Amino acid sequence: MSNTEETKVEGVERWRFALVLAVFALLLLVVAGRMVMLHTIEQPFLFEQGEKRTVRSEVQMASRGNITDRFGSPLAVSTPVVTLWVNPQQVDPRKLTSVAKMLGINSRELIRKVDRVARQGRSFYYIKRQVQPEIAEQILSQKIAGLYGDDDFRRYYPAAEITAHTVGLVNIDGKGQEGLELAFEDHLKGSNGSRQVVKDLFGNVIKQLGVDSVAKSGNDLALTIDLRLQYLAYRELKAIVQSHHAAAGSAVMLDAKTGEILALVSQPSYNPNNRATLKPQHMRNRAIADLIEPGSTMKPFTVAAALESGKYSANTPVNTSPGYVRIKNKTIRDHRDYGVLDLTGIITKSSNVGVSYLARDLGAESIWQFFSHAGMGNPGTLGFPGEAVSSIPYPEQLDDLRLSTVSYGYGLSVSPLQLAETYTSFFDGCRQHVSLLLEQVGSQECEPVMSKRTARQMLNMLETVVSLKGTGKRAAVDGYRVGGKTGTAHKIGRGGYEDSEYTAVFAGLAPLTDPDLVLVVVVDDPKGQEYYGGEVAAPVFSRIMDQALRLRQVVPDKPGKDQMLQVAGGIR
Amino acid sequence: MTVTHGFLWMLVIISAVAQVQVVSWHRNLLQEWQGTDRTRHELLQENTRLVLEKSTLTAHGRIDSLARKKLDMKEPEHTQVFR
Repeated sequence: MSNTEETKVEGVERWRFALVLAVFALLLLVVAGRMVMLHTIEQPFLFEQGEKRTVRSEVQMASRGNITDRFGSPLAVSTPVVTLWVNPQQVDPRKLTSVAKMLGINSRELIRKVDRVARQGRSFYYIKRQVQPEIAEQILSQKIAGLYGDDDFRRYYPAAEITAHTVGLVNIDGKGQEGLELAFEDHLKGSNGSRQVVKDLFGNVIKQLGVDSVAKSGNDLALTIDLRLQYLAYRELKAIVQSHHAAAGSAVMLDAKTGEILALVSQPSYNPNNRATLKPQHMRNRAIADLIEPGSTMKPFTVAAALESGKYSANTPVNTSPGYVRIKNKTIRDHRDYGVLDLTGIITKSSNVGVSYLARDLGAESIWQFFSHAGMGNPGTLGFPGEAVSSIPYPEQLDDLRLSTVSYGYGLSVSPLQLAETYTSFFDGCRQHVSLLLEQVGSQECEPVMSKRTARQMLNMLETVVSLKGTGKRAAVDGYRVGGKTGTAHKIGRGGYEDSEYTAVFAGLAPLTDPDLVLVVVVDDPKGQEYYGGEVAAPVFSRIMDQALRLRQVVPDKPGKDQMLQVAGGIR
Repeated sequence: MTVTHGFLWMLVIISAVAQVQVVSWHRNLLQEWQGTDRTRHELLQENTRLVLEKSTLTAHGRIDSLARKKLDMKEPEHTQVFR
């Protein structure tokens, strides 16, 4: 009995032993199989996921190039700031109360928004962009989980509204939107760098795996603008626009010898540092983008064409009686009957009839050619966004009437900047191309317009405009010989020329002995009793010119009324 | 045979130690570079702040009004200019 029992037990044991062994072997096989799978089939996926959890691709922001004036004063500067954001999935919204307080935002609203974004399943939300680095550091030092700070740059415009139109502005992402910021976007913007790094739990970089690209900061841009002149031109222009309740205004100052733009201002202006108050109508760079009919400021070119033809001299008499002339059912009028005027007198008195006679005598072809050389109808060369293209009718389109109107500045259009450019040709007969960047200065040959002798004669004629008997006597500057021409153009409305809306213009040079500056002042739609170029624009011209010549330390070339030499504050 | 073996073993150990050393060196350099980069960033911050401060303090309008009000200066009359 015991024997049979023993065999039974042995039999059971062997069977059970085999089963347990088999199960263990199977388990081992499963584990081994799983290991093989993990190491072969799923390996790439797992490796990638592992990398994703430790390896970070970091972007390094490149700073944008600065814009400076000709002496290096900053006009646009990028300064490092911090952009704060949260991962709503990780952050405890109640902890954001103190953060909101430090940033000056409504904490309840912030918490509500973060909650909502968290419920939507998103994992990114801006708390505030472009925070001062000191404040951001304080906030980040609280080590709130899920709150992060990224390096960023903010653009500041120290000269604000004074250079706003020229410099332009960038949007919150640092991309150029207006002005030079837009035109030279590629030059100014740098290229961001990026690198692969391994980070530990606290966000410290412990290993750098590779650098995809190195951050390269953008290039600086030096303008020909002189901030001091820009400032005083802006101040005087703003004053006149306000006191005459004008719709707009602009002023352009050029170096007469090189065509460098020293000041370029427009009114109304805006503060580019405060994006909340931007209004599109204030952002128009009127000195470049607006086309005006230059009006009488074109007359000197008609007269210069007459001198160049050889048929006329400065003293050739022209009979402008009876003060009007009828051409094709239209009457061209002077202010009054000036009788017989010589060419100088035509400029001094700004006689429409006189220049009409001259233009018709010279013919459409030669007037057109002369005006074209002077720069009328040339496309803008600055590459500025919205730069206006001046226009002049072709000679075939210039019948007697249109030729007459063109001769005194109607029926053709230029921007204030282009008008200033044409006036550089009175310096030595050669029109200088304007330039706004220091590196571009002198890169283009000047365009011959008239002989040096004619240019000199023209300067003398332009001086008579500013004399007591001229239309622009209020443009005179004490101590300097100034020459220029007034212009008053009717504005164009829906039904043709408006009767009571004008553009007042003054364009001129100083000092005439050796011209240093060209200045054009345009006041758009001045209200009130005064609207002539000689009444509105000329006084501004005088004030800007007076201060600018002093600032540039130009030697006075006109003896004072009392010839006595006087000394103030020591001898130079 | 044994000599070659021993030599190869030595090479393995030397290269292993060198590997560790290079990694450590790399991390030290990285630390150092990050430190200097942070300093650079701070200096940039400081610099732009100072540039802005200077341009605010030297703004033409400010100088103009300071000269007139505080220092009681005025532009020379025309007759006061020597020429």
